[in-house]
Amino acid sequence: MLGNLLVSTLMSASVYAMLAVGFSLTFGVARIINLAHTAFYMVASYIIFTATMKMGLPLYVGVVAAVSLVVLLAMVTYKVLVDPMREHETTVLILTIGVALVLQELMFLWFGGYFRSVPTAVEGFTTLLGVRVSYQYVLTICVLIVTLALVWLLLMKTRLGLAIRATAQDREIANVMGMSDSRTATITVGIAAALAAIAGAIVAPLFIIEPRIWLSPLTVVLAISVLGGLGSLKGSILGAVIIALSENLVVFLVPQGAFFKGAFSLLIMIVVLLIRPEGLYGVAFEEER
Amino acid sequence: MLLAVKNLTVCYDTAMLLNDVSLNVATGELVGVVGPNGAGKTTLLRTIAGLVRWERECKRGTKAGNITIDGEIHFDGQRIDKLPPDEIARRGLVLCPERRRPFRELSVLDNLRAGAYLVKDHRVFQQSLESVYTMFPILKARAGQVSGTLSGGEQQMLAIARALMTQPKLLCIDEPSTGLSPKIRAELFAKIREIAKSGLTVLLVEQDVSLAFSLSTRNYILSHSKVMAEGTSDELMKDEKVRQSYLGLAGPASA
Ligand SMILES: Nc1ncnc2c1ncn2[C@@H]1O[C@H](COP(=O)(O)OP(=O)(O)OP(=O)(O)O)[C@@H](O)[C@H]1O
Ligand SMILES: [Mg+2]
Repeated sequence: MLGNLLVSTLMSASVYAMLAVGFSLTFGVARIINLAHTAFYMVASYIIFTATMKMGLPLYVGVVAAVSLVVLLAMVTYKVLVDPMREHETTVLILTIGVALVLQELMFLWFGGYFRSVPTAVEGFTTLLGVRVSYQYVLTICVLIVTLALVWLLLMKTRLGLAIRATAQDREIANVMGMSDSRTATITVGIAAALAAIAGAIVAPLFIIEPRIWLSPLTVVLAISVLGGLGSLKGSILGAVIIALSENLVVFLVPQGAFFKGAFSLLIMIVVLLIRPEGLYGVAFEEER
Repeated sequence: MLLAVKNLTVCYDTAMLLNDVSLNVATGELVGVVGPNGAGKTTLLRTIAGLVRWERECKRGTKAGNITIDGEIHFDGQRIDKLPPDEIARRGLVLCPERRRPFRELSVLDNLRAGAYLVKDHRVFQQSLESVYTMFPILKARAGQVSGTLSGGEQQMLAIARALMTQPKLLCIDEPSTGLSPKIRAELFAKIREIAKSGLTVLLVEQDVSLAFSLSTRNYILSHSKVMAEGTSDELMKDEKVRQSYLGLAGPASA
């Protein structure tokens, strides 16, 4: 029981962290709230589905295709639609939710509303903490955690990471130091999309794929951002763990809990907004004029 | 001329922040720009560094983006007023901004690394790191500390050190003395003198006229968006009208 709780919390926490970190980076550097973020995750699942089930390609080819196509899609959407509107915050919100809905409808059009699934990469089970866990599950968690660690290394140890962190603090001064903020923002949008795509691609074999699977992760990502503090990486990861843990606790402890685990993250969001609107690690941008 | 600003006029919507400002800085000079609050000094430096144009690009389509910039800015023989700020930085013009603005959540060392963003050669980076550490030993001691927690004086040293890490040809400093005690001010200005002595060209905006004049080779007095006077510190100090109207000093020059 405890083992079950831990394993499934670890799983949701790492998926949520992947999504929330990208969402948060995009907010910090490009200064936009991208409500289409989890739609990229959904699109990635469909690309995996097409590659493996329709075209019969191996899973890893599907993953590579999903990540590259989604990154391209995200960067083009950002440059063409969002960037010109960046100063109009409300417009960006409407625009990005519009993009998400368009992508959803396209998937309905092309694939129908059926529940799809894709094959697992590995077969078999192992026992972890007294729980029977499939190798696919273990593999997925490992890939997610390794990816998060790589992102952390990218941010902390590379020149690009330095530009991303500096731009997230103060766009003007980053520019003065020779870091083009528009270039950094576009790259960051790409990285965020890659994280969403990897999450979507890697968990696809474990979950059902259908055109609306972006909606509940979006709620969760918003809840995490409110809880952790929008724009904070530490906050995103901690928020992901807290939300994942509480969702799983609800599922395990409350009868029929699975039905309101989504409502639970919304509840957390509302409570945080009421008592600590800036979240755990609120980020204040250096004031620009 | 290393920097030549020609007939620069900047309007934010209907407010004229700079009115036909012309200014020159030759290689090796330390030029002071002094003037009262709201004169347009910061706007001048921000325009030179490309930030006003950048701001207009960012805010295009909104009321705040209704900014007009007229005139020309030449740096190191090339026109830079149409360039984005990162490109201007690449040419060797750096701004040490008003209010210091360290990257608050980054460590001192990461701030210095950010300054050296365009420096690709690791040896050059190490050398300039050594030299700013020699100039400001406190930064070495605080290298791992998050810069937002530094004291005001330390933050100002960091801001100057970060600007020096870019290997600039022209260092523009905006009001380094704000909020510092007289002792720290004197120390800081000694460092700026040292920087200028080492051969770096400096454009220094400062409210504290006597401090600025003690360092500068030449000065401009900016008031109400306009250049009101220009000259060496001695010339300006002797000019009765300048003393009374712009420097807030009454009576004849004693020195
Ligand atoms: N974004 C803006 N829109 C409209 N007016 C502005 C804007 N930014 C600054 N101003 C105004 O322009 C004038 C000049 O500002 P600036 O900051 O350049 O002055 P300053 O000489 O640096 O003053 P201080 O010594 O106080 O730093 C001020 O009256 C200021 O209120
Ligand atoms: Mg100023």
